[in-house]
Amino acid sequence: MKLRWLALLIAIMFALPVFAHGDKKHVIGTIEKISAELVTVKTADGKLVEVKLAPATVYVTKDGKPAKLTDVAAGQRVVIHATPKGAALIADELKFAPASAATAKSAH
Amino acid sequence: MRRRTLFLLLFVVALGLLVAAAVSILHDGLSARAKPSALEAAIVRSAKKMATPAVAYSATNPIADSSEVQREARLHFADHCATCHGNDGGGDTMIGGGMYPKPPDLRAAETQKLSDGEIFWIIENGVRLTGMPAFGGSADAHGGADASWKLVRFIRHLPSLTPEERLEMEKYNPKGPDDRKEEQEENDFLNGAPAKPDAAPKHHIQ
Repeated sequence: MKLRWLALLIAIMFALPVFAHGDKKHVIGTIEKISAELVTVKTADGKLVEVKLAPATVYVTKDGKPAKLTDVAAGQRVVIHATPKGAALIADELKFAPASAATAKSAH
Repeated sequence: MRRRTLFLLLFVVALGLLVAAAVSILHDGLSARAKPSALEAAIVRSAKKMATPAVAYSATNPIADSSEVQREARLHFADHCATCHGNDGGGDTMIGGGMYPKPPDLRAAETQKLSDGEIFWIIENGVRLTGMPAFGGSADAHGGADASWKLVRFIRHLPSLTPEERLEMEKYNPKGPDDRKEEQEENDFLNGAPAKPDAAPKHHIQ
């Protein structure tokens, strides 16, 4: 009986890190440009990555506060959790650092 | 002669049905990656309906709906159910996608037209030969029958789940050490730390 619980515990320990993500992609960088349908992110290695914005996309500040598309602007740091659909990436969640915090940091 | 012909005809029809059922069920070498055929899904749906005790259909939810009940059930669902069903109940998760049968879309009419009692019965007793476990025997971990009835309330709300509610649920999804580390690195980046493309996991584009 104890062995069964131990096996279950080990299975859960190995499974948890794997199943949290599925096939989601995380796009990390600075917003190059943004429209109602599309955000272009410049990554650390200078690559431009386009992510489609959907009605179901959730916008949230780095502090976890709900936000709107209109709060997001070019130049802000962003972490986007997106689902690949064919060749495109669809944003599920867009987390951003409001301009003041990001620019204040980069100014130092 | 006529009787013999009738028997032969019945035998051929029965054999044909048996072969069709076998092909329908045993396709793709019993791989869990396959999707159940329409025939198999229909047979299982009928069997499930027949196997559910009659008393389950008419059971009514003793828990009144409220924003507190919804929140409690929402976070419970995020922690216990979303791994397979997804926060939105769509079943589009890595674990769910690898199951046979796949978890049903809880927002769809197929689930929503079940009675409260049927949904409660499924949560409490599970569904044999699927990935749906019975939560009824684990009162300490699950919260007992009240928790199941609250989940029924939340499942009714799933078709109109808001993005804000989904966002809140993500904080309560089970996470492993790698996820926590990754989340920390993403937050550090948003707070001004430099990106670390070399140490990034494969699913990162940075």
